[in-house]
Amino acid sequence: MEEAYITVSEVTDYIGNLIAGDLNLRHIFIKGELSNVNLYRSGHLYFTLKDDESQIKGVMFGARYKLKELRPKDGMKVLIEGKIDVYKKNGMYQLYVDKISKDGVGDLHQRYLELKEKLNKEGLFDESHKKKIPNFPKRIGVVTAQNGAAIRDIITTIERRWPLCEVILFPSLVQGDKSAENIAYQIKRSENFDLDTLIVGRGGGSIEDLWSFNEEIVARAIYDCNTPVISAVGHEIDYTIADFVADLRAATPTAAAEIAVPPYGEIKNGVGQLKLRANMAINKQFGENQSKFEAIVSKKLFTNPSEIYAPKEMLLDNLVNRLEHSSQSLIMKNKSRLDLIKHSNIFKNPNEVIKAKQENYLLQLSKLEILNPLNTLKRGYTLAKSEGKVISSSKDLKSGDELEIEFDDGNVNTKVI
Amino acid sequence: MVDENASFEDNLKELEEIVAKLEKGDVPLDNAIEEFKKAMDLVKSCDEKLNNAQDTIAKIVEDNGEIVDFNVE
Repeated sequence: MEEAYITVSEVTDYIGNLIAGDLNLRHIFIKGELSNVNLYRSGHLYFTLKDDESQIKGVMFGARYKLKELRPKDGMKVLIEGKIDVYKKNGMYQLYVDKISKDGVGDLHQRYLELKEKLNKEGLFDESHKKKIPNFPKRIGVVTAQNGAAIRDIITTIERRWPLCEVILFPSLVQGDKSAENIAYQIKRSENFDLDTLIVGRGGGSIEDLWSFNEEIVARAIYDCNTPVISAVGHEIDYTIADFVADLRAATPTAAAEIAVPPYGEIKNGVGQLKLRANMAINKQFGENQSKFEAIVSKKLFTNPSEIYAPKEMLLDNLVNRLEHSSQSLIMKNKSRLDLIKHSNIFKNPNEVIKAKQENYLLQLSKLEILNPLNTLKRGYTLAKSEGKVISSSKDLKSGDELEIEFDDGNVNTKVI
Repeated sequence: MVDENASFEDNLKELEEIVAKLEKGDVPLDNAIEEFKKAMDLVKSCDEKLNNAQDTIAKIVEDNGEIVDFNVE
């Protein structure tokens, strides 16, 4: 019986399909130590990942562009995410890397959390300790790397926003051994330079690169610094310890520079606005005073004063007039009465008046004489009286009544028969 | 007169206060004129400082403590 032989390619394809079809191998998380690290000009990274008992070949395409801060080297412990596949050409299975990161970061994170809690308890993050960042600094210090992008960004930003400010760089290591000590030293040193604000930071990087900003010595140097400190550690995800201690935190060195100085254009406009407002306010006040003045000046007292006192004058005239008139008329009246009296007969010709009165008196007396009843008696008439009353009718008398007859020369009592 | 030693910030603050006072309008005219003059002096002083702005001076403190010009390439 003839066996059915297959080709090498066919068996490799077969194995390749088996592996490719396995879900566990299609997306794998694997950790180990790097060896035979080789970064090709093409940008691809070739290495062997191993532990104490085994090893696997690995490749990362385009590693040069994908790996930002991590510089893989032999002996580095790494965490890898990727897949297992077969490389047909040599018939070997290998690890295809999507992501690679340094192992041991978990430990760093633990240290970070512990230090954060310790310093927080100690009060290094207290809001009450935070200093105000000056609005118009004259001199800003920067603790960062001399050759990094951070100092360049800060200087250009300040130049653009507020060219009235001086920048003094205190060059420092910002990653690797001794960087934390160096940063702390430069912070302390900056205190002697009469700074208004101090920016402490660096550009972005991996958590390991930024680690010095999570060190206690840097945190304490920032806390003890008498100059207001802006932290400027370029990182996206989390805060560094330096951020918590600093008086103000900026996300990047550029942002720190923007916070540190005011915008020139706005300030210049602001001064212009204030000038305009001062002018408007004073003009308004002038205007108001002008109109007040005009209102006063336009009052009758100034424009036509006679209008105010003329009516009073008229009233006065009227009163004087009336007074004169009334007193005169009173005098006249009394004068005419006096004249009348003066011209009366009694003053002019008193004897005549007396004589007239006398004549009148005699006339009246003679009239009385005629009417006097006693004269009638002289002519022989008598008066009959009864009980004192004159009796003028016989009907008033009856027989036996006593009568008194009055004669001119005496009375006689009689009785009616 | 404007205090020569006062900072830009102090001058700006004083200017803001005077303008606010003038705008309130309860300053007697004589005083208002004085305040206005002061405001104009402050504006002049602020403008002078702003207009005198040169390129930012950048320096570096060397290890030996010497301060030298620092040029950004």
